[in-house]
Amino acid sequence: MTRPFIPCLRSAAAALLATLAITAVPAVAADAPPANVAAEAIGAGLVQPGNNADAFRDARRGQDQSITFAAPADRVLIQSEGEAWRQMRNGPITEYGGWALVVVFLGLVVFYAIRGEIKLEDKRTGKLMERFKFIERLAHWSLASTFVILALTGICMLFGKHLLLPLIGHTAFGYLAWAAKNVHNFIGPLFFISVVLMVVLFLRDNVWQAIDALWIRKAGGLLSGEHVPSHRFNFGEKTWFWLGVVFLGLMVGGTGLILDFPLFGQTRQDMQLAHMLHSGGAMLFVALSLAHIYIGTIGMEGALDGMKTGYVDETWAREHHEYWYREARGERIPDNAPRPGHKPSTVH
Amino acid sequence: MARMKFLCDAERCIECNGCVTACKNENEVPWGISRRRVVTIADGVIGKEKSLSVACMHCSDAPCMAVCPVDCFYRTDEGVVLHDKDVCIGCGYCSYACPFGAPQFPQEGAFGMRGKMDKCTFCAGGPEEDGSQAEFEKYGRNRLAEGKLPLCAEMCSTKALLAGDAAEVANIFRERVVRRGGSGADTSGWNTAYGKGSMDADMKAAETGGAK
Repeated sequence: MTRPFIPCLRSAAAALLATLAITAVPAVAADAPPANVAAEAIGAGLVQPGNNADAFRDARRGQDQSITFAAPADRVLIQSEGEAWRQMRNGPITEYGGWALVVVFLGLVVFYAIRGEIKLEDKRTGKLMERFKFIERLAHWSLASTFVILALTGICMLFGKHLLLPLIGHTAFGYLAWAAKNVHNFIGPLFFISVVLMVVLFLRDNVWQAIDALWIRKAGGLLSGEHVPSHRFNFGEKTWFWLGVVFLGLMVGGTGLILDFPLFGQTRQDMQLAHMLHSGGAMLFVALSLAHIYIGTIGMEGALDGMKTGYVDETWAREHHEYWYREARGERIPDNAPRPGHKPSTVH
Repeated sequence: MARMKFLCDAERCIECNGCVTACKNENEVPWGISRRRVVTIADGVIGKEKSLSVACMHCSDAPCMAVCPVDCFYRTDEGVVLHDKDVCIGCGYCSYACPFGAPQFPQEGAFGMRGKMDKCTFCAGGPEEDGSQAEFEKYGRNRLAEGKLPLCAEMCSTKALLAGDAAEVANIFRERVVRRGGSGADTSGWNTAYGKGSMDADMKAAETGGAK
């Protein structure tokens, strides 16, 4: 087996240094009294025959370990970072992640019980407006389907040991988890591609606009029931886009690729870091997605139509995205438009 | 019941890799897997160079066991940490958590897909019937069941690598330390594998007859 070039160079340099040290030592020893040399050496923790504590302490800290091994993972004696990863993964990521899911889910149940489905106020006109083009729906549903598969298989990997294994036993759970891992690893790259496509297609209409300030002030009218005007996407949708799709999507997808393809010299530390960002980010992503799925399906009348068929009723468009509706009808909405009434009115 | 442990004496290890070879041969370890490796720290630095043979340390509080998503690890009555390859899914988490780089994975298929994890078994096989062909093919030889110690330690030419009951191993090492006049605070890996103040705590545990 050929040794890699750099370790070779390093050992050569070490050998050179060692040679220099051998030739230099007698000269130093001749100048200084022997007692001083011994005292200095003890101070430096060098002389104490048979005591390797210093050497191993350094090794534990990851210092002074010129270890000759081909695989990067094997170049340390004791990998202390593993313990930190274990604490994070078995601690906060599992606990807080699990509670985040439960809390968001229960929150939505309570919200639904209080608020119910957000109905359209006026009758449907029967006239339809195109809200999402085919390619946009393709990107959304490919992201949505891969997301759901990844979420379920990922949850199986993180919580299955505690929830499912006691019920079905080691052998059955072993097969299930094996399938989950492989599905997760093969679907992952498709998810990443969907995220990128989604970001490209939806970026322009998710740029923040002046009217978003109103949505923030009124908390979207979610509790009051008031309709807050917005362009094509309101601030809630934009937040889901930027925080969910862009930030969490790219982070969870990107770290997933690092974990999925351990072929590029990743060290165990790289994998630990990638895994913490991946699973932590994914738990937040899944928790937030529950709210998105809720409002896109049972939470709001007519919301699913847009993504399902590509078209929404004009009444829905007017009530939920007033500026977008008026722009589509040929009106021009200035950036600093005064807050209009709830019924569409002519600006000019 | 004995508490099985490895200990490598850095004052004796000469980096001959005999233990690595013994392990590979005895257990017919698959290509690409090294259950044991010899690590040299401060290689080539005169007076500081130390070599150690490292494998699974069969930790008291084993990180691999704690992070395994399918709970495929188990501990024998003798304190040996083993795993069930039929349950293992090859996720790699044990290798992220292990301080000693013990868990290894054969590459199976494209894109770096991992096969079932493989690691040092303290020559104690796996969950299959002791000494069976199935056990040998998956985990290697079950020497412990035959009343023998791991071959790596048995074959060590300088008796640097010790394996066996914690009390025995600690006594041998302690005698050496006393003869050398050192402090004995150099049992590398023991603190990591068995917790703080390991020597005394484990001596006590061995005497009172039990691992945690």
